[in-house]
Amino acid sequence: MMNAQTSTPAIELQSSTSLASRISVKPIFQKLKPSLESAAYTLGGFGILLLGWYLISKVTADALPGPFATLAVFWELIKDPFYDYGPNDKGIALQLISSLGKVFLGFSLGSLVAIPFGILMGANSFCRKLLYPIVQILKPVSPLAWFPIGLAVFQSAGSATIFIIFITSLWSTLINTAFGVSTIPADHKNVAKAFGFSTWRYITKILIPYSLPHIITGLRLSISVAWLVIVAGEMLSGGMGIGFFVWDSWNALSLEKVICGILIIGLVGLLLDKIFTLLEKRFSYSN
Amino acid sequence: MYLEIKNLEISFPTPKGKYTAVRNIDLEIKKGEIVSIIGHSGCGKSTIMNAVGGMLTPTKGTVTINGQPVKGPGPDRGIVFQNYSLLPWLTVYENIFQAVDAAVKNKTRDEKKEITEKYIKMVGLSSHREKLPKQMSGGMKQRVAIARAFAINPDMLLLDEPFGALDALTKGDMHIELLKLWNLENRSKTIIMVTHDIEEAIFLSDRIVVMTDGPAATIREIEELHLPRPRNKKEIVSMPEYKIIRERLLSLLMDKVEIDQADFYQAAEVEVG
Ligand SMILES: Nc1ncnc2c1ncn2[C@@H]1O[C@H](COP(=O)(O)OP(=O)(O)O)[C@@H](O)[C@H]1O
Ligand SMILES: [Mg+2]
Repeated sequence: MMNAQTSTPAIELQSSTSLASRISVKPIFQKLKPSLESAAYTLGGFGILLLGWYLISKVTADALPGPFATLAVFWELIKDPFYDYGPNDKGIALQLISSLGKVFLGFSLGSLVAIPFGILMGANSFCRKLLYPIVQILKPVSPLAWFPIGLAVFQSAGSATIFIIFITSLWSTLINTAFGVSTIPADHKNVAKAFGFSTWRYITKILIPYSLPHIITGLRLSISVAWLVIVAGEMLSGGMGIGFFVWDSWNALSLEKVICGILIIGLVGLLLDKIFTLLEKRFSYSN
Repeated sequence: MYLEIKNLEISFPTPKGKYTAVRNIDLEIKKGEIVSIIGHSGCGKSTIMNAVGGMLTPTKGTVTINGQPVKGPGPDRGIVFQNYSLLPWLTVYENIFQAVDAAVKNKTRDEKKEITEKYIKMVGLSSHREKLPKQMSGGMKQRVAIARAFAINPDMLLLDEPFGALDALTKGDMHIELLKLWNLENRSKTIIMVTHDIEEAIFLSDRIVVMTDGPAATIREIEELHLPRPRNKKEIVSMPEYKIIRERLLSLLMDKVEIDQADFYQAAEVEVG
């Protein structure tokens, strides 16, 4: 007892200065702990990948360029990403911007078509029965198969590439939107009925808010596939873009550049996915 | 008669075949009456409310209001759903305002905003007006649902266990608010309420409808109350009629429990033996 009593003021004195830091540091550390942990795992995984890569390149006597050679090339690429030496020789950032531009244009147009049709399919069983077979047949088709049709219609490889991204972006968004709209709980519909909501109020205050998380999931899946398809599309169409860059690097026999291209494509894909995951979180209304 | 329910039967299709929830329901309610429905859970109280509200179409029989068959829901009937049915992405204020904005005609936007504020205040949620349903307790959600139904100023209020999630004190306040509202409009609003609370039913009602148990539940008995209005909770409990009605309701609702207990003891004896 005595001991505890006498020591109390000392503790108070000591803590009065460090109280603020003690209170804030611990929770922040605890918050950071999971992300530190996952960062450690990520680094560990990449360490193993780099080691394997290094060994393979050693074994194959540099037929596959090793990490260090590739890193040097990567540095060259990002040192001056915006250079422009004519139509067939542009910086990596310009290639990337070109690809992203095409993806966003095709994706936006596709979403503008897919969301309203998805709502229609979800809300109306007649439309669903009419449209669903079409979606089922066309969804499994590789979007690249549409490239010739795009060429025939638009007479331009660039527009044909945007066209296949447009097609790519339809299906997941369509299906997820339709699913979201068709699962609106009876409770919510009853509120609309009981209080005499107009169609417009029903759409803006119940249908859209309820379906939004599903729509965003659809958009996320769509843009992921669109990013996959743009690379292949640009290999077909040529001209400009990250896919063209990879193909052009292969023609120039620089596997280092090809690998750099792969890494950049992966990172951008991850970034796109993360952006839409954040949007999904932002617009989810459940706990 | 203002509301007429004639030979009402409601069945639901289930995987095991047709399930008849209620049948042979005959009930007439005058304009301005307050009627409670009590019965064991699952006997079809909500089903009857939904038929009056227009959420369900009768399998047999008719529901008419002012001689017109009920064809669907409408803002002439304000409903407090048993599960509150708030829109999860709207705040307290928006949940009420959207309903008012949709259901109330011939009022300006500012007037509708005023109405919304008034009813938020009535249910004591002014300091929570920007909260989402997931940030609130069951009782608070229930009060939002009550405010929403009251705010559209309907001719008929359909309240499905409206005060069930409230603590005794808040419940008492809500009873007063309900009766105030009813008095304010010269007792012209018709109120139908489902409840489990016998005291609540007696304090508020002109008549109490007691249901039999489901399936195929029907009306077992209708109790007429002649307690004078305005009623005072403290005063009525000492009135002889209050005690008689209370005993009657208790015995109607409890005899099943006693039979269940007898079954239980028999079963226990069999097991012991
Ligand atoms: N949509 C439905 N489909 C099938 N059965 C239902 C449906 N709604 C209610 N029921 C059944 O009807 C009976 C009465 O339900 P309900 O009216 O909710 O009871 P209460 O409100 O009295 O507790 C219950 O047995 C319930 O399971
Ligand atoms: Mg019920």
